Amino acid sequence: MSAVPEPVAGARTSLAGMLVIPATLFVAIGLIGPIAILFRYSLNQFIPGQFMVDGLTIENYVKFFTDSFYLNVLWRTVRVAVICTVICLIMGFPLAYVLARTESRFKNLLIMLVVLPLFVGNAVRAAGWMTAFGSKGALNASLMGLGLIDQPLEIMFTETAVIIGIIAVNLPFMVLTLQSVIEGINRNVEEAAFSLGAGPAAMFARVLWPLAMPGILAGTILTFILAMNAYATPVLLGGPKFQTMGPLVYGQFAQQNNWPFGGAISFILMTATLLLTVAANLIVQRRYR
Amino acid sequence: MARLSIDHLRKVYGEFHAVDDFSIAIAEGEFLVLLGPSGCGKTTTLRMVAGFIQPTAGRITIGERDVTALPPWKRNCGLVFQSYALFPHMTVAENVAFGLEMRKIAPADRAPRVAEALRLVQLTGFDERYPRQLSGGQQQRVALARALAMEPDVLLLDEPLSNLDAKLRQEVRVEIRDLQRKLGLTTIMVTHDQEEALTMADRLVVMEKGKVRQIGSQRELYEKPADRFVAGFIGRSAFLDGAVAEAGRFRTGGGLDIRCTATASGPATLALRPERLAIGAEAEACANRFPARVEHVSYLGALLDIDVRLTEQDRILLQMPNRPGAAEPKPGDMITIGWAEDAGLVYPREA
Repeated sequence: MSAVPEPVAGARTSLAGMLVIPATLFVAIGLIGPIAILFRYSLNQFIPGQFMVDGLTIENYVKFFTDSFYLNVLWRTVRVAVICTVICLIMGFPLAYVLARTESRFKNLLIMLVVLPLFVGNAVRAAGWMTAFGSKGALNASLMGLGLIDQPLEIMFTETAVIIGIIAVNLPFMVLTLQSVIEGINRNVEEAAFSLGAGPAAMFARVLWPLAMPGILAGTILTFILAMNAYATPVLLGGPKFQTMGPLVYGQFAQQNNWPFGGAISFILMTATLLLTVAANLIVQRRYR
Repeated sequence: MARLSIDHLRKVYGEFHAVDDFSIAIAEGEFLVLLGPSGCGKTTTLRMVAGFIQPTAGRITIGERDVTALPPWKRNCGLVFQSYALFPHMTVAENVAFGLEMRKIAPADRAPRVAEALRLVQLTGFDERYPRQLSGGQQQRVALARALAMEPDVLLLDEPLSNLDAKLRQEVRVEIRDLQRKLGLTTIMVTHDQEEALTMADRLVVMEKGKVRQIGSQRELYEKPADRFVAGFIGRSAFLDGAVAEAGRFRTGGGLDIRCTATASGPATLALRPERLAIGAEAEACANRFPARVEHVSYLGALLDIDVRLTEQDRILLQMPNRPGAAEPKPGDMITIGWAEDAGLVYPREA
């Protein structure tokens, strides 16, 4: 397959080609530019009181990797992101399958219901979870009212709360990505596997899963990146003691005014996300080629 | 190879009777074709045999085994789909080996059976190709090989030739038929293509609106259609509406008096095969002779299709061979047409 589309009609192609310029410029100026500047900043020195001193040093990176506090934050972020992504995949696949295969006339409505949570901003949604998870929140009040527990469950300001919150945000992305790919898999292929003696588990493992692999990859990459970079959810549901990379970057820029270190953390976050994504891709592609 | 029997099979969706009381016993090695227009229930029937649709009522038995309640993966029915449904992420050999793998046959024992299946469909040497690298006809043959490799009790073909172009369709038709005979496979094929059905089947089932209209050989269906639907669906028929006035007399709406073999009186339809009609001098000897006006002539090469009008209400189609020297009727000509007493088939009609 060629990456360049076949030219259509002579003179018009050059005009059509121009249409990609706005997006290209936007990405170049709006994304790559600032990232390059940020990288440059991360090599500067930070001297309290002087804000930022031009330099060419890796001390910000050394600081991160030699301080167990920061390494813990990175590890926690990766752990939360991996758990969220795996749970999203496990919960999202059946839902996506049903959405892809349903012949109900309410199909579009069902898809809208999956997307509906995205109509509410992350911060607003996290605030909603706060009211649900609190020690006097809806969940604890219901469970205690029913007599199922004596003491309120400690959910708020725990890793569990953050994981639940992030899954709620990311699940629709996983479901929609998987659904579009599963829809492209011919139903007869599943039936062919059944007729050849494959039970549901064998059919899933040998046919559905490998054929859905492009969607599984796209969905996990998307949700993993979102989970790695989550900001509002860990801040509001995790509380001040539950530090992840997103809030850490923000803190260095906005509260500590330490732009060089903030820049370095941003780069470490970006690189970690990229490396883990690429590694997962390579492993999966080797298995399912 | 097992014998398949279907007893009083029924599938109802709410008010809709997709399949209504379908019963048949299929002999070992028989090639049965389910034929009918789309929506007649033929595919639903096949899918019930395959196990993808649970019947509302009835029983399906393969050999001595009642499979009605079994899931598809325990039925041992080889299935070939219209869309081929090959596994796109597996090679030809892996596709063909899939059924053997699911039956836990050791890899070493699979290889010769895969090779044999591919040899049967003349695809030896294509083992390592992927389905996307094959033509439609080749993919179809891989699908067939995949179904054959697992040595199914019954082979089910769901419109297997519909996606092939006309020339290839004829070749594959013969190939499938030869293979089926050679292996003695009990086979059910679903199709809406009459020619395909007539050339391949040992026996045919004509279905319409969920009901079996007639079961029989090609000759029985053509010579003695059970009802007006079959008379119109298998081959072509011209229909004259009217009534049987007395035994042996059919009177059309346009007032023609026709000799026939029907005895029961009442409203009826007379069906005539276009090639059973005589024209001109040949018509003089027939029991039924009528003057007719030629309305339209279609030149079909070997044949001429001629629409003629007998009365204001009665029109029929006749077919004559295109012989050199024979006078070709022209629109507006008055000709004589005739047919034997037993050429017209009379079907009672609900008033």
